[in-house]
Amino acid sequence: MKNFKKLFIVVFSVLMVVGLVACGKSDSGKQKEGDASSADKKSYDKVVYAYATFNNIPSSDVLDTVAEEINKITREKINVEVELLPIAIFDYSSSVSLTLQGGGQIDLFQSLGDFNTSVSSDMAYDLTDLIDTYATEAKEVLGQDFLDACVKDGSLYGIPTYKPYALTPMVIYKQEIADELNIDMSQVKNIFDLTDVLRKVKEAYPDMTPLVPVQTGTSGVNMTIPEVDYLTDDYYSPKGILKGNDMTVVDYYGTSEFADISNLARTWYNEGLILQDAATTTSTATELMAAANSFCYVASYSYPPADTAASISAQVGGIPLGAVQIGEAYLDTTSINALSWMVSSTSKVPEAALKFLNLTFTDPDIINLIIYGIKDRDYVISEDGYVSYPEGQDASSVPYTAQLSCGTLGNFFLMHPMEGTSKESLIWEEEQNQLAKKSPAMGFTFDSSGVKTEYTAVSNVIQQYLPGLLCGSVDPEVMIPEFQNKLSEAGLDTIIEAKQSQLDEWLKNK
Amino acid sequence: MKKGKNNKNNRGLTKNGPLLLIALPGILYLFINNYIPMFGVFLAFKDYSYVKGIFGSDWNGFNNFKYLFRQDAFTIIRNTLLYNLTFIILGTICAILVAILMCELGERFRVKIFQSSLLLPNLLSWVVIGFVGYAFLNADTGFINNTLIRLFGGEKVAWYTTPKHWPIILTIVHLWKNVGYSSIIYMASISGIDKSIFEAAKIDGAKKLEQIRHITIPMLKPTVVILTLMSIGRIFYSDFGLFYQVPMNSGALYSVTQTIDTYVYNGLMELQDIGMSAAAALYQSVVGFVLVVTANAVVRKVDSDNALF
Repeated sequence: MKNFKKLFIVVFSVLMVVGLVACGKSDSGKQKEGDASSADKKSYDKVVYAYATFNNIPSSDVLDTVAEEINKITREKINVEVELLPIAIFDYSSSVSLTLQGGGQIDLFQSLGDFNTSVSSDMAYDLTDLIDTYATEAKEVLGQDFLDACVKDGSLYGIPTYKPYALTPMVIYKQEIADELNIDMSQVKNIFDLTDVLRKVKEAYPDMTPLVPVQTGTSGVNMTIPEVDYLTDDYYSPKGILKGNDMTVVDYYGTSEFADISNLARTWYNEGLILQDAATTTSTATELMAAANSFCYVASYSYPPADTAASISAQVGGIPLGAVQIGEAYLDTTSINALSWMVSSTSKVPEAALKFLNLTFTDPDIINLIIYGIKDRDYVISEDGYVSYPEGQDASSVPYTAQLSCGTLGNFFLMHPMEGTSKESLIWEEEQNQLAKKSPAMGFTFDSSGVKTEYTAVSNVIQQYLPGLLCGSVDPEVMIPEFQNKLSEAGLDTIIEAKQSQLDEWLKNK
Repeated sequence: MKKGKNNKNNRGLTKNGPLLLIALPGILYLFINNYIPMFGVFLAFKDYSYVKGIFGSDWNGFNNFKYLFRQDAFTIIRNTLLYNLTFIILGTICAILVAILMCELGERFRVKIFQSSLLLPNLLSWVVIGFVGYAFLNADTGFINNTLIRLFGGEKVAWYTTPKHWPIILTIVHLWKNVGYSSIIYMASISGIDKSIFEAAKIDGAKKLEQIRHITIPMLKPTVVILTLMSIGRIFYSDFGLFYQVPMNSGALYSVTQTIDTYVYNGLMELQDIGMSAAAALYQSVVGFVLVVTANAVVRKVDSDNALF
């Protein structure tokens, strides 16, 4: 009996170990298969296209069918085969950087807001010499101005997604309440005009908090300051900025505009016009608008006001909404290069990758395959060119769709419009791209690698004070001086100096 | 077992071999997960570049560590240490108290019910707890502002912007979540105490409280020492969920909620610098290591039986 027990233990533990080893083996077996299949078609360069998706990730069989359709075009046109690699948006950045670190193949990826990080950590391939040979059409589509946004130290590191760039600040409000109280929203021309409207609503509905934050810690007031170039930061964490045409880097928090909007937010807070927990709530504007006790919010959108209102209305359960523009769009480098496509520095076939990237800007068949999948299986298209899902299906049930990524891939204006949008809006949007005022420092990107220590400290201080100031929950009279004090202790001045000297250098070489 | 009698080593192996084999997956896991990554330690001293790779990147001296010692360093270290100290002391006291009460309950069924309900919070994720807290503390619709304060009178409090209450809130939340779990270890130790000692004490006329004071608590001492030593090793780490999710990462509360982990997270969210995060981890583990060795040395001096090593 005793021996039997011992035997059992030995056998059992051996089994467990073997089990582990077997797991490892089956993985490597799979990999080999993959290698073998690509070896069969040696004549084509294989490009891995990693894109972020906001939709479900399709199964690999389905991906293969879509990739095969794309390959039919690319084999002929550019002698390249493509592997699609959709990655869920929430771990896109980390997943890409880990794959590259681990030596995995990704040839094309998008910068997703950290253009600078991708460049300064050498993830991106220098495209300067390649673009004129392999991506001339994409260059034509974008124009030199926009392409310059991806230039750093004289080298081109990416191609910005071509989409509506210009973000216009708007107030999104509930139409019914405005009608009922006889408020003429078209009279709201800027953020300061909003106060009286909010007061009127509060008077009629004392239990209501008329204004809700667009997202945690942002009441939207900061988006309405005109002509600010954040110089590679964003409005969540501005450091040194440019104002208008003046080429001196200034402290954002020392500007009179910042004091004005902070005071405005404070007034709202004191009068109960804004959600008291605006600085901390994690509910988004659409969630808060769906509730009965809200009236409006302030945010920036790239679509015409009427379209924006209609599309948000659908997200808040069909409550009729209106939108009114309260400022002008302004383009700086980040608004262009925040979403740009890069060839990975570890790519073995950068030319092939760039050739394929070029097609995503110029070939409607390819871009529509990536976005909508295969016609009649994943989507249907009406006679006048609008896309909808097949009868009885939606975005979550069709085998393949990446529809929600439409603003992030290649050329947005080549994609078939969805049912419910209008082609006129597309024209408006493309016009806005050309009309919107551009920062004089367009094309300048700030390299923060020399001031990393200060950056972390300053980011922390900003996190600490900015949401409270923008949502009015702290008193700007007391807090702005304290905030500025802390910032200069944290080294904001060093950052501003570094920005200024890099900017001067850039101007000299321009 | 007679065959191996003449060879001591051999006998040990035949006897323990199967056990070692069982432990093998665990050891492998520990090796792969905890030892191999240690080679990455020098990343803390490198200016990491994706092209040059881990070994090829340029050396950076102590530059990656600098941001940990800037203006807020004092607040952050103070918060981390004080909270952890409070948690260790109060946590131990509460856990022992709960364990003793549980053991005195006696009846299996009742013990099971109490134990399960005390354990439940431990199974909840911090995100969920963060929102439970939010339901209580929300300035507009929260339970405390809307019901308790309305009922008993008093001024409404904007909880998420008023730092002074948070040391207490965080301590309560921490205890609520963890006491049930840590009391299990003490319950096990208490039930391991020889029952005849209690009986002898009872015959000598010791009351319940005296029994607890003179028998239970002294008998728990080794467990307390070991557990405390182990938590001292982690005193420079903080429970990220507690300090990030529960205060909703509210900036106005940073002076009392920011610990090393949340500081590093908030600061590096933008830069995503591998070298700097490695530096923070190295700093935490080195300090933890030093503290454990020191604490152990102290314990060994006072009471060598209870020292860890």
